[in-house]
Amino acid sequence: MIVRYEPWGAWVKTETIPALVALDRDGVRALGLDGGRAWRPGAEATPSPPIEVHLAVTSRCAAGCEGCYLDARPDGVEPPAETIERAFDALAKAGVFTVAFGGGEPTLRDDLGDLARAARARGLSPVVTTSGLGLGARKLEQLKSFAQVNVSYDGSSEAYESVRGFDGAAAAESAIAKLAGTGVVVGVNVVLTRDTFERTKETIRRAASLGATEVQLLRYKPQGRARALDYLAKRLSPEQARGVGPLLRELAAEHEGRVRIRIDCALVPFLSADADLASRPEELARWGVLGCEAGDLLCATRVDGRVAPCSFTAPTELRVEDLAKGWAKEPGLAPYRSYSSAPAEPCASCTLRKVCKGGCKVVSEYANGTIGPDPECPRVREHAAGAGQAQASGA
Amino acid sequence: MSEETVRETTEPRELDVANVRAVRVGHGANCSSVGSVIDTLFLGAVVGGAVFAAVCAAMKVEPVTVVGQNRDAEDAPDDGGDP
Repeated sequence: MIVRYEPWGAWVKTETIPALVALDRDGVRALGLDGGRAWRPGAEATPSPPIEVHLAVTSRCAAGCEGCYLDARPDGVEPPAETIERAFDALAKAGVFTVAFGGGEPTLRDDLGDLARAARARGLSPVVTTSGLGLGARKLEQLKSFAQVNVSYDGSSEAYESVRGFDGAAAAESAIAKLAGTGVVVGVNVVLTRDTFERTKETIRRAASLGATEVQLLRYKPQGRARALDYLAKRLSPEQARGVGPLLRELAAEHEGRVRIRIDCALVPFLSADADLASRPEELARWGVLGCEAGDLLCATRVDGRVAPCSFTAPTELRVEDLAKGWAKEPGLAPYRSYSSAPAEPCASCTLRKVCKGGCKVVSEYANGTIGPDPECPRVREHAAGAGQAQASGA
Repeated sequence: MSEETVRETTEPRELDVANVRAVRVGHGANCSSVGSVIDTLFLGAVVGGAVFAAVCAAMKVEPVTVVGQNRDAEDAPDDGGDP
């Protein structure tokens, strides 16, 4: 297992059971270890490095998805392997646990398998997302080097096309089946939009039947080619946002023990509408549910090596090679951290505040031009409606 | 792996589930946003407790590799304030 000391104890990544465990100081001592410098008074004032980094290994992609958050194109940039391996060195030095290969389409790289092994050699867990398009025997072999592979799959033809602008469902389904058939741990990424939401259960049943063992539900976000007025028509309706909690409950019951259900950080604010989940913030925290961790437990690196708070945010001046040394002081990360630690109302009084951390800042920045309460969060909507009514009655 | 300290602890590890603050199960493999397993929230207490007990059991026996800048407080050079 891999241990990284923290002021409160340590992160522990276990190998026999793939898990990341937050262990308190007594637990760390029970392992025969001591946090030393990390446990000295004042250490908690310095931001810890991320636990997960999303690394763009290419900006090339021929798929042309309408909502691509990086605006990836067929003539994109592909950094040399040496550059990416230097990035791995930097991540390992900082104590990062997981590196998620993204892009662009990572499988367009001929050296993808080599890069995955290079990451593993440095103690990193490599995972990757692919569209599954053009997944032949050679690419399949390369993907065996990853701890997990997720295929972008938004549902059957119509649902897939509604998100990406073309029908790649058959290719994605084929990829899921091929990967599962070769023993690769395979999951699917399902983007929730107004069109796909109602078909989510059907989509997951189909993915499971093909061999997927994990589903990650993703909120549609206004960035890259999705940063357009079209976003407002594609995002979940207020009713659908309130329905996320009940949907998760149904999915968990249907797939218990067979398919693991994940949600992304940006869906966490929608749980505020679920009375049961909103009343159990300690349990969410205990199961490691993470809301917005941009610039905190998470960051992303672009193909040019610049570090961004997350994949959807603008890059900072910090370069990945300097991650360990520059992480705490990079001014471009500060606004994300400061809002998460002290959000405005109605986030400040929300039971889920410590887990959610104020919702998706990409969405708030898109809607309001600044980092603030997530305007699509059901609780924020109610708060805004109440303020509007009070203003109207006062006038 | 010059940045790491490896310790093969031989003494029994008396780790308790109460020492576990949080568990993030699995790898996840999304490249754009951080994902969290959510179905565990709907498991019964017995099943949930079994997961915590299983990770504790793993931590009691797996060899230890310490990573990161805080890996050894006493030996690591002071690089100007970044712990």
